[in-house]
This record gives sequence, structure tokens and C-alpha cells, in this order.
Amino acid sequence: MKQFFVITWWEFVRQFKSRSFLLATFISPLVFAALMFIPTLYMEDPSINRLKIIGCMEFDTTGICRNIRQRFVELNADSPLQSFIQLITIRTDTSASMKNRFNLTRRSKSRLDSLDNNYNRIKERRKYVFQKPEGASREQELKATYDELLQIREARDLAELDYRRMDQETDSLWRLETIRHADDLLRSSKMEGYLLIDQINFSEGIIEFHSLLPSNFLQIDPVKQAVQVVVVEQRLKNEGLRVDKIQEWLEPLIFREIQMQGEEKQEFNFLINYLGPIVIVLFLFISIFTSSGFLFSGVLKEKSNRVIELLLSSVSYTQLIAGKIFGLGLLGIFQVLIWFSLTLLLASLNILNTSEITFLTFGNAGLFLLYFLLGYLFFASIFVGIGSLFSHEEDAHHLNQFMRMLSIFPIVLAVLVLDTPNSLLVRILSFIPPLTPTFMILRIPLGSPPVEDYYISIGIMIISILLAIILAGRLFKVGSLIYGKKPTFREIIRIAFNLH
Amino acid sequence: MKIQISEVCKTFKELTVVDQLSFEVEPGKIVGLLGPNGAGKTTTIRMILDILKPDRGQITFDGQTVNRHIRNRIGYLPEERGLYQKFKVMDVIWYFGRLKNLPKRKSHIEAIRLLDAFKMIDYVDEPIGHLSKGTQQKLQFLVCLIHNPDILIMDEPMASLDPINQQLIRTKILQLRDEGKTILLSTHQLLEAENLCDYFVLIDHGKVVLQGALPQIQKNYDQNMMVIETKQDPGLLRGIAGIRKIERRDSALYLLLDKNAQSKEIMQKIIQKIDVSRLEVYKPSLHDIFMQTIKGTH
Repeated sequence: MKQFFVITWWEFVRQFKSRSFLLATFISPLVFAALMFIPTLYMEDPSINRLKIIGCMEFDTTGICRNIRQRFVELNADSPLQSFIQLITIRTDTSASMKNRFNLTRRSKSRLDSLDNNYNRIKERRKYVFQKPEGASREQELKATYDELLQIREARDLAELDYRRMDQETDSLWRLETIRHADDLLRSSKMEGYLLIDQINFSEGIIEFHSLLPSNFLQIDPVKQAVQVVVVEQRLKNEGLRVDKIQEWLEPLIFREIQMQGEEKQEFNFLINYLGPIVIVLFLFISIFTSSGFLFSGVLKEKSNRVIELLLSSVSYTQLIAGKIFGLGLLGIFQVLIWFSLTLLLASLNILNTSEITFLTFGNAGLFLLYFLLGYLFFASIFVGIGSLFSHEEDAHHLNQFMRMLSIFPIVLAVLVLDTPNSLLVRILSFIPPLTPTFMILRIPLGSPPVEDYYISIGIMIISILLAIILAGRLFKVGSLIYGKKPTFREIIRIAFNLH
Repeated sequence: MKIQISEVCKTFKELTVVDQLSFEVEPGKIVGLLGPNGAGKTTTIRMILDILKPDRGQITFDGQTVNRHIRNRIGYLPEERGLYQKFKVMDVIWYFGRLKNLPKRKSHIEAIRLLDAFKMIDYVDEPIGHLSKGTQQKLQFLVCLIHNPDILIMDEPMASLDPINQQLIRTKILQLRDEGKTILLSTHQLLEAENLCDYFVLIDHGKVVLQGALPQIQKNYDQNMMVIETKQDPGLLRGIAGIRKIERRDSALYLLLDKNAQSKEIMQKIIQKIDVSRLEVYKPSLHDIFMQTIKGTH
């Protein structure tokens, strides 16, 4: 018994002092946390999320841009979006040459209007003459006004053609110049993009957004929402509905999500209630595989340098395996306790708000620890048995990788648990030993599993661990003294199940 | 403590590795366990160490079968060596002392005492991986002695040691023998075994093919041989009656004589026929006996 404790202590201290343990305990969670939080930091970093200016351009005076801006502000009144997206109206081209062009167009229009007036006036006069009694003077007057009408009509048609052409030209030029101006603003990074609103397209719900960077297309959603509201408003207005009512109807919804957990109910929080259990499972698995990995490589090394023979000349197989498993299990618990203490520390410093993690009760923490231990004992027994069969780390490398992949497999299936934590399929899968620890740890906060599931899963795990220990013992007893050749899968099965 | 191995058998699958093996190791004696590769030496050692259980037969220590107390009285030096490379010398010796049931403090004190005796005290805080191969070998020898064992089982104790360290270990082994320790030594270095061992057990195919003290073995294997060195044609010796076979080994000629041939007469005839720079009656070495015995069984 004394030697068992000596081995336990040695294994614990040996790995506790190792660089790999420090890496797994402090660096892995940091990397993991970084992977989770860097995108959030990125979103919140003011240097990255500098003020984004989105322009709005319209070629009429309906004030759509103003409406969009107003709606955007209203819709995002409580959102940080408002502080880093600003909508501005792009002024159309009012340069001297453009003004001159507008004057010419206006003059052309005046001329057309004047000719049109004259034409109408002659037409009125002819109508008046036509009502006079028939006679030579009437005929003469009609003929004279007819010539005049023809003359002026021709002049008016020509003026109209002239005006239409000029108007179109001016309009196109104005559009082009204005878009060019907006594009210059884009290129000089004075704004991130602009909305191009055309009255005809707008009424049909078509709006263009121009930008340089692909990421800006992903960030335009809040603006789209504001445009949508304005389009709907306009359509409703066209249907003759009251403006104040429209605004009331378009008030955004407040959707409260309440999750029932056993007898209690609480507001659903995606990060905490959905991702929280996965994070816990991942951490427990990091711990299980740190310890089992140490066990595996430790046995392999001791075998390759024949220290195992030296150990077996002093202690029994049982003492050696038990001491190793127990020592590294303690290391795993110690690692979990370090993380737990760090969580408490972060909570006391108000960096982490643990009050929202309602599923992290002492009862649940106890269950997590229990399933962690069961999982560790199960995987550790398998790792120690398999590890003892190989003489060189390179030989065992592929098997080790394969076993790790196999053990990560339950985490891949976690989505199934997240979706339906108490479905028949998930319940059945929870009773398959390699999956049991992961599935139960996930099910506890997500779906409050039925009490019998705890008894069945714990019972199955205990039986499986005992079996795994017996098989690992056989493998270890034979494997630890075999050198040189790599065992085949068939040989492993033969040794484990005592087949001849 | 006397080790008695009585009719021990061990079979793996269908292969009998140790077959009816019997021999004894007395206290104050060094017994050399010899044999070619695959003869069953390692399996025998593992059975003595209780790492493997014999299928049949018995291994006793002063009449008792192995128990925890006896286990703690055995010191073992395995053939291929390596210790925890990243750990400090002191920690590793201390750990093995603790595994042999030494109290914490005693384990520490004994470690320092041995390190000092082997002139390794300067390495006390060094990680083992930083030591030279020879020093690591010495350290392993030291680990085997940490609990002052009554029984020492050593597999190739001199392997890859330089001559100076070989001498150091040799002296220490002889000293331990003189202190009355029971020592079983397995080796391939027959010359080394000849110098160290008091008794030899030669095994092959799991069976004892020869055992006894060297003079006794040599007597049994005395095949009436002569060795001569000459610059002349060995063909001149062919006519001498009593010479059965002439064999050249390096610069010497080994003459195998008829069983009842008179060495003196043959010597005179040789001198008459050719000039010799060396002429002597040859006593077979352990190597010769080993080679002949193994050859005979194959």
C-alpha cells in the first residue's frame, strides 16, 4: 500500500512539474478563450470599429435619405451600432459648369413654355374665330392663323426636342458627376459606401449599395432594415394610411425568451445556456486527455528505457497501474480545481459574471466532477493498457492519434444533445461508455435528465471501468515485457480477451 | 540469502522458454548465468524477480517463496538502461529507495552516501539527461544498491562502460560478494564472467547444459589440447601419431589430441620436427567451453 502512495505521489509530482502540464493548464485555456473572445474584442475594438460613414444619394427632393437616416437612428437607439455607423446625405453636383448647364436647360424650357403658350393662344383664337358666322373674313382669318399655328407648332416641336435632349443630357451628366463625386469619396476612404436611390426603383423596392470592401456588405444589415421600414412606410402612405399609425405599427418587437429548467424558469442566454455546457465539456476533456496522455506516454517511455522492469522488480503490476492512474487522476482533479479557482477569481474581480451561469450549482459541479472521474478512469485504463504494448513512441503515435480522435468524437455529437437533450436517441447514446461522460455533462444543464438516467449511466460506467481495468491489466502484464515488435490489432484483442 | 531455483518451467504460447531449470545461488558467491540469445536468461531473471510467475517448479529465498519483504531485499540492474531523463539525480535515487520501502530520510541519506562513494556527488542536482552515458550507467548501478540489498541480480553490468568505470564496478561487485551478498550476474562478456564469477550456469533452450565452478568445468571439458606457434609449415606435423586435428586460430595452431595420447611424447616429437616459438598444453577458456557446448546442442 505504501508503495502505491509513493507511485501516486511520484506520478503526480513528475507531471505537475512538467512543461506540458503548465501548457495544458494555463496556455490551452488561454488559446481556447482567445479563439472564443478575439472576434468579440475585434467587434468592440474602437480602432477596428471606427466610425463608418454610409452615404445616401437621391436625385429628387422626396427626402428619402432623410427618412432613412431618421429611421436608422430610431431603430438602433439602444444599439452600439448607432455610434459607429453614420448615415449622411451626399450632396449632388452644384459646380459652376453644372449650374450653367442647368441655366441653359431652364432657358430652353422657358423657350419651350413660351412657344407652347403661343401655340395654345393661337389655338384658342382659332376656336374663337371658328365660332364666328361663316364668311370671307372668317375664312381668311382661319387661314392666316392656320399658317401661324403650323409655324409655331414646328418651332415648338423643335424647341421641345431641343429641351428634352438638353434635359436628358443635363440629368445624365448630373447623375454621372454626382456618382463620380461619391466614388471619389469612397476611394479616398471618406465613407465606407453609399446608397443610391432612384425614385422609380425605390417605389419598386430596389436600392443600390456601392462599396469597396467586401466586409462593408456584411455590415449593411442595420441600414437595410431602416430602408425596409421607409419603403413599407411609403407604400402604406400611398395606400392612404395615416403616418402616425404607420410609425406605431412599425415599432420593433421585444422578444423575451424564457427557458424552463426543472421547477425554475430563467431568461435564455445563448452564450451561457448553449455554449456554456460545451465549454465545460471541452475543459473536462482537456483535463482527461492531459492526464491520460501523460499516462500513455509515461508508460511508453518507461517501457522503452526499461524502467518498467525496475519498477516491477519493486512493486506489483496492480500497485504500479493503480498508482499511476490514481496519481494522474489527482493531477486531473488538481487541474480542474485550478480552473475552478481561476473562475472564482475572475468572478470576484467582476471580470466574469458567474451569477448568470445558473446551471453551475454545487450539485451540478459535483455531478460534473463525478462524470469527469468516471470518464478519466475509463480512458486512462484503455490508454495505459494500449501504451504498454508499444516499445517506441513513434510506433504508438498513430494509435494514440486514432484514440484521441475517437475520444473527441462525443464532442462532435454534442450538437445532437444541444438540440434534443432528452430524446430517446440521446438517452441511448448516453449509455454507451465512451459517450457517457460528455453526453451526461451536456445534458445536466440543458435538459435536466430523468433521475434513472443518472443511475443507469453511472452503473454502466462503473462496470465499463472495471472491465477496462481488467483488460488493461492483461495487456499491461503481457505488453510491458514484450519488446521489439509492434503488436497488431488482432494480437491486442487476443491478449485482452485471453484468446489463444 | 540463498536463492534456490528448482525445476522451474515457463511456456509462452507453445514455446517452452525455460524447461526444468534448477540451480542455486549461495550468499557470498557470484553466479554467472550464461547462455546465447534466447536461451531463457531474461525470463529466468524475471521469474526470480517475481515479474513473471513460473508455470511449474519453485523459486525460494532461504526456503521461502517470494514476498514483499524478500522483494525489498533484491537489487536489480536491468540490461538496457535509462532512467527518467528530465529528473534530478537525487530525486530518482530517492524514488527508487522509497519503492524499496526505505523511509524518506533514510532514502535521502543513502542516496548522498552512495553518490559520494561513487564520486558523483557533484551531479546531485543535475537532470539525468545531462549526464554522460557512462555516468548514467553508474547511476543505475547505484540505484540498484540504494536499499543495501541482500540479493543482487545484474544483467550485463559492464555493458558500455569505459575501462575505468568497469574497474570501479568490478571492485564494487567483488566487495559486495565479500560482504556476503548473493549475486546473480547475467552476461555475454565471458572473459569478464571468468574474472568475476565463482560459479557458472550455462543454459540453452531453457535448460541447464553446464554448471559448476570454473576449474571443475575446465576439468570436465579438458579435451587434451596443445597450442603451438611456428613459422614453419604445419603440414610437417601431420605424421605425428596422437594428433587428431590441427586448427589455426590467429597466429597459433591448436592441436586436438587423441583421448589417451601422451602429451609429453607428442611434445618431444613436435620439437624434433619443427622450430616452435611457443608450445604448451592448452586449458580451455570459458569462451571455448561456451562455444563448444552451445555448438554441441545446436
